[in-house]
Amino acid sequence: MTVGITGLGAVAGIGADVDTVFENLRSGRGALAEMRGFDRTRYNAQRLFEIDDRPEPGVDEPRRATGFLLRAVEEALADAGIDLDDSYTGPTEVPVLVGTGLRELRSAELWWRDEAEFRAEHLHFGTALRRRLGAADTHTLSGACSASLYALALGTDLIELGETETVVVAGADVITESMFGLTDRFQQVPTDGPRPFDLDRKGAVMGEGAAAVVLRASDSVDAGPRASLRSVGINCDAHHVTAPDPDGVSESIRQAHRRAAVEASDVDMVMLHATGTPMNDKVEAESLHRVFGNSVGRPLVTGIKSMTGHTSGSAGLLGLVAAVRSLETGVVPPITGLTTPTPEAEGIRLVSERPVTESMSLAQVHAFGFGGVNAVAVLEVSHP
Amino acid sequence: MNVITGTFPMLPGASEATDLLTRQPTGERVDPAAVLGRKGLRYKDRATTLGLAAALLTLRDAELLGEDGRADPATAVVVSSNLGNLDTVCRVARTIADETTRGVSPMDTANASSNVIASEIAIRFGLRGPNLTLCNGPTSGVDAVRWASLLLRAERADRVLVLGVEPDNETVRAFTGKRRCLDGAAAMVLESAEAARERGARTRAELVSCVRSSGVSECLELLSGNVRTRPGMWLVPETDGESLPERLLTGVARTDLSATWGAASGALGVLQCVAAVGWFDSGEHGSVHAVAGSDADDASAGVVLESAKEYR
Repeated sequence: MTVGITGLGAVAGIGADVDTVFENLRSGRGALAEMRGFDRTRYNAQRLFEIDDRPEPGVDEPRRATGFLLRAVEEALADAGIDLDDSYTGPTEVPVLVGTGLRELRSAELWWRDEAEFRAEHLHFGTALRRRLGAADTHTLSGACSASLYALALGTDLIELGETETVVVAGADVITESMFGLTDRFQQVPTDGPRPFDLDRKGAVMGEGAAAVVLRASDSVDAGPRASLRSVGINCDAHHVTAPDPDGVSESIRQAHRRAAVEASDVDMVMLHATGTPMNDKVEAESLHRVFGNSVGRPLVTGIKSMTGHTSGSAGLLGLVAAVRSLETGVVPPITGLTTPTPEAEGIRLVSERPVTESMSLAQVHAFGFGGVNAVAVLEVSHP
Repeated sequence: MNVITGTFPMLPGASEATDLLTRQPTGERVDPAAVLGRKGLRYKDRATTLGLAAALLTLRDAELLGEDGRADPATAVVVSSNLGNLDTVCRVARTIADETTRGVSPMDTANASSNVIASEIAIRFGLRGPNLTLCNGPTSGVDAVRWASLLLRAERADRVLVLGVEPDNETVRAFTGKRRCLDGAAAMVLESAEAARERGARTRAELVSCVRSSGVSECLELLSGNVRTRPGMWLVPETDGESLPERLLTGVARTDLSATWGAASGALGVLQCVAAVGWFDSGEHGSVHAVAGSDADDASAGVVLESAKEYR
């Protein structure tokens, strides 16, 4: 049984659909801008990768994450040729799994502090998915920055175990003031934007985004899917609440390779987690060396967070959507802001400054989160 | 077939699964430090310490805790909690508005992420399997049991610690509109029947099926399709005082755990499974149906548990 990816959806600061997001990624255009929804006098950092949809500057409103989620899911369903009108008639049985770092906690902040209208039934996404799509088998998984790839792993399992033929997997996050405020106070926040894998990287900058894919059981000869999802490896470092561990990260990559029955030397492209924090990038580079060994210089290696910001739990799936587009087009977007690679990245074929075009078929996508939750997906696009 | 081999209810007045059906809560708050010791608990939030204590006692009940206080690294963790870090998030946002970010404490950083309970459990007991946090509304606890079962069938772990936990505080009460909230945890170990048999573990209950549907009666219909006999007990969803129609499982005894122990939110489903184990522990046989999520919610999820048939 092969798990096919038949539809894609994405919303980020750099675009409200997959094509616009990918076009901006390949052109190296980022969404870093002056903060729009928060009171700037409260923070050291002044810029974030927000989605520009606030009614007016400095005014925030609840349930934005839900809105971005629905937009990404609807784009993915339409792309997969699933007619939404049919599902309005009753609860569809298609499971919808949503991975999120911060769920609708931003709305809870606005409720508590500003008495904004927000009810408990909307803290998870199921209520909105039921009302909009009729979906009754919905799951909000809150697993920090790897949540959407964790959700992808569960969606893959549902299909491989024969429990369902179609699954929608999504990720959605907007920035909470609590998480942003804590990083603003205690981590160095780069004023000129994040510079993943650069020697002078100073830290991550938060962003907002949503992504969705439609997964379908398919035969390998089926020409239908845009890509095949070969595996998703998931594990936990059991090491530290915020710091990553190279043992756990390496094992998650190996697990993904094992489950996909591929060798590291088969991989053509790596979509990094690459947050731009000193710790993540060091551990991620070390882990690539450990797993890839002599073939570490083979795959093209990139990341998107210097253009989208770190979009928390939705980041993994947003990276995966970009990776599918890269495999389809042969174009790998650059890591902007990367001029002098960190010493740990020596020998790794980092794409920087301008996009690289190559014929590729196999990619792996990384997502690692607070609490040591790691997820790595392997996907394939076959070119006729 | 997956089976339950250990449980613990971390609630005031309960010290084993059977207590959930026979006792009433005392007025006191349970003290996780009495189980865990004070060391290292200072900056952990209430939900995390409740979860750690319930995890320890459940792993011990399942005879999985080594002398070093660690368990098999191939164990997965699935936690369900809707409100675990709500108070931290709201408090930090308020502090920033009042004092700018200079007023916030670094000790809140881990607690600002909703998966802190599951990751702290993994760290303390050395559990390197998949680590999931469900924040899925009223059905969340039952959903956690379903994902635990899937992780076993997908061969992603040898066994799974499933835990439901909700704290009680001012923010939670204001947000849910409930006057009496759980402030406790319930946990269980789920593993395959073969794995349990191999290590000589006592099977306390068998997990027959997990379902999810648009409402309570649809959910019960799916559950009944998966069971050979009429249930001996129905653990009902929280309904905010609305009574469930008489035509549903007519004649089957109904138990509302939230009426006894307080509004349980994301902890309810796991609490129900632990109560079912308690029912079997007290000598009852047959099956129990448990449903979380009422018709007023976005969906209902249910499980069927059966008493163990020893080594058939």
